[in-house]
Amino acid sequence: MKQHIRSLLAAGIMLSPALAFAQAPAAPPAWQQGRPAEMSGSTLAPHAPRLTVTAPDAIPVAALRVPEGFRVELWASGMPGIRAMALGPNGTVFGGTRVIGRVYAIRDVNGQRQTSTFMSGLEQPSGLAVRDGALYIAAMHRVLRVDNVEANLTNPQPVDLTAAFGQATEAHHGWKHIAFGPDGRLYIPRGVPCNICDTDGDRFALIESWLPNGTDRRIEARGVRNSVGFDFHPRTGQLWFSNHARDWAGNDNPSDTLHVAARRGEHHGYPWCAGGFQDPAVNGRLCAEFPPPALILGPHVAPVGTHFYTGTAFPERYRGAMFIPLAGSWNRERLSGFEVITVREGEGGRLIREPFLTGFRDEANNRFIGRPSGALTMPDGSLLISDQQNGAIYRISYGR
Amino acid sequence: MGAAAVMAAALAFSAQAQDAARGAALAEARNCAQCHGPRGVSDTPIIPSLAGQQAEFTTLQLILFREGIRRVPAMVEPMRGMSDQQIEDLAAWFASLPSERRADRGPANPALMARGAEISAGRNCNACHLPTYAGRANIPRINHQREDFLEHTLAEYRDGARVGTDTNMNGLMNGLTDGDIRALAHFLAHQE
Ligand code: HEC
Ligand code: HEC
Repeated sequence: MKQHIRSLLAAGIMLSPALAFAQAPAAPPAWQQGRPAEMSGSTLAPHAPRLTVTAPDAIPVAALRVPEGFRVELWASGMPGIRAMALGPNGTVFGGTRVIGRVYAIRDVNGQRQTSTFMSGLEQPSGLAVRDGALYIAAMHRVLRVDNVEANLTNPQPVDLTAAFGQATEAHHGWKHIAFGPDGRLYIPRGVPCNICDTDGDRFALIESWLPNGTDRRIEARGVRNSVGFDFHPRTGQLWFSNHARDWAGNDNPSDTLHVAARRGEHHGYPWCAGGFQDPAVNGRLCAEFPPPALILGPHVAPVGTHFYTGTAFPERYRGAMFIPLAGSWNRERLSGFEVITVREGEGGRLIREPFLTGFRDEANNRFIGRPSGALTMPDGSLLISDQQNGAIYRISYGR
Repeated sequence: MGAAAVMAAALAFSAQAQDAARGAALAEARNCAQCHGPRGVSDTPIIPSLAGQQAEFTTLQLILFREGIRRVPAMVEPMRGMSDQQIEDLAAWFASLPSERRADRGPANPALMARGAEISAGRNCNACHLPTYAGRANIPRINHQREDFLEHTLAEYRDGARVGTDTNMNGLMNGLTDGDIRALAHFLAHQE
């Protein structure tokens, strides 16, 4: 590692926030860290969130496109920032957010959606998972559990499991996606506290799993820069996860990726390698040493909420297929992403990628009108897609 | 691609109808002027002026106050029960008020101006806040502001005491001394 640290320094790259403090005045914010001198005049910056309600008639559902035979409609709205979704046993859809700090609850009452702010004032409660009637909420390093959640929608009294899970408190890439595996364990990722830096590989760049009470930590995947979407293959039970690659290495490099965790604890390449891109800023190990990703998703597309469709209402080819919302780029001059894609297995296990829900990106004007950020299969076989920019959920169904 | 196209991307979908006149009436009813001054120009130490501020920035900050994410005790009562529509109206009203350089600002101190200019150039403050420091969309106007508020709030970003819609400003303040921040505030308050 010594060697590696020196090479990072030689490339003029900040190692960690702590080191950066000592080296004023060059300390950049985390998202800007690793930006080379020739890009220092760039006006690219993360997009501002919209935190106010978007009226139903201003939600661009009419601009959205789905494949032949499918139908897309506005299912619920008025939930600024909604991202990840989780389904309660009695049909309540819970929605997590980042900046606005809320968890929403949405119920279908006689064909009408009733939405409410279930919890608020949390720090980036983006991770939600349901098990045995309890809702687990990951809000940065905090982990909360609301027991018998659907009977406590109005006055939830969460159990605080933060100490048991002992997550790192560094803010950057500390927002989480969480899910229960078929093994009954809670899977929690921990991204890196920077854009590109050397980190403690036992604390960062990981996907971990835990028993639901916060004991028996296990490292499922290493060298994962920032995963905010994963799910378990409906047949094999294997963990499939998407990963966000670094910024400020160019418009077209590196690409965000989709991976399969074939062997527990395997290293997937960060910081040296991202989807076959050998990072010139980091010496040490070679791409050839790591398992290749299952699929290259594209530069800066930002996969959020990777999801296997488990219903039967969609045509055969979509059953067991993966749906990946791409929330879309900021660190790229031409926007990329801003769509939902499907990935399914073709002959010989070859993965086939196709656009599924498009229209969020206005190509002509290089702007976006929505950001898909979560996917959920409903009991009736329809698919819900959340849109954090419009505070909305769309429902996609087949036939009729 | 040029900066204009990038900004167009960031603007995304336009906000819905806001009404400055409704905002004016609400500001009157809630007595915002008691602290933020008549017509949004603050006479109270460490309380910011709101006149001519970017509407999108004001909207985002008012939501953060209401949700208890940006924690300022004095802003809890004014925001109680405020709807999104009311917040957008207030933001439109304050954005419509003229922003001018402060009548009470003292003469520029050349040493502070030089240091402030140096830090601002080194950290590209004007890439986001624009060369005039008038801001755009979610990025606030920081010229014409009270110097003591700028100093106070920049130190809060540095010390992690101010939570924003992202961590840009916290990171940008890393490693600056109190003296550096005083110089930055002085420099910004003396922009035209
Ligand atoms: C009791 C005094 C008080 C009242 C009344 C008050 N404010 Fe404030 N306001 C403050 C203080 C103090 C701050 C924050 C200063 C800081 O960040 O330290 C603030 C900050 C703000 C900000 C953030 C501005 C910035 O540049 O960061 C906005 C916007 C704002 N107030 C709007 C309003 C509106 C609109 C009203 C009336 C509905 C109002 N305030 C009423 C005291 C008040
Ligand atoms: C990457 C874009 C970016 C850069 C570069 C940047 N800012 Fe900011 N600035 C912002 C944003 C966005 C906000 C609002 C953040 C929030 O929600 O608190 C902000 C807020 C501020 C505020 C608070 C104003 C108020 O009324 O509350 C001040 C003061 C400020 N910036 C000064 C600076 C200075 C000084 C620099 C250079 C050292 C700088 N900014 C560089 C984006 C930027």
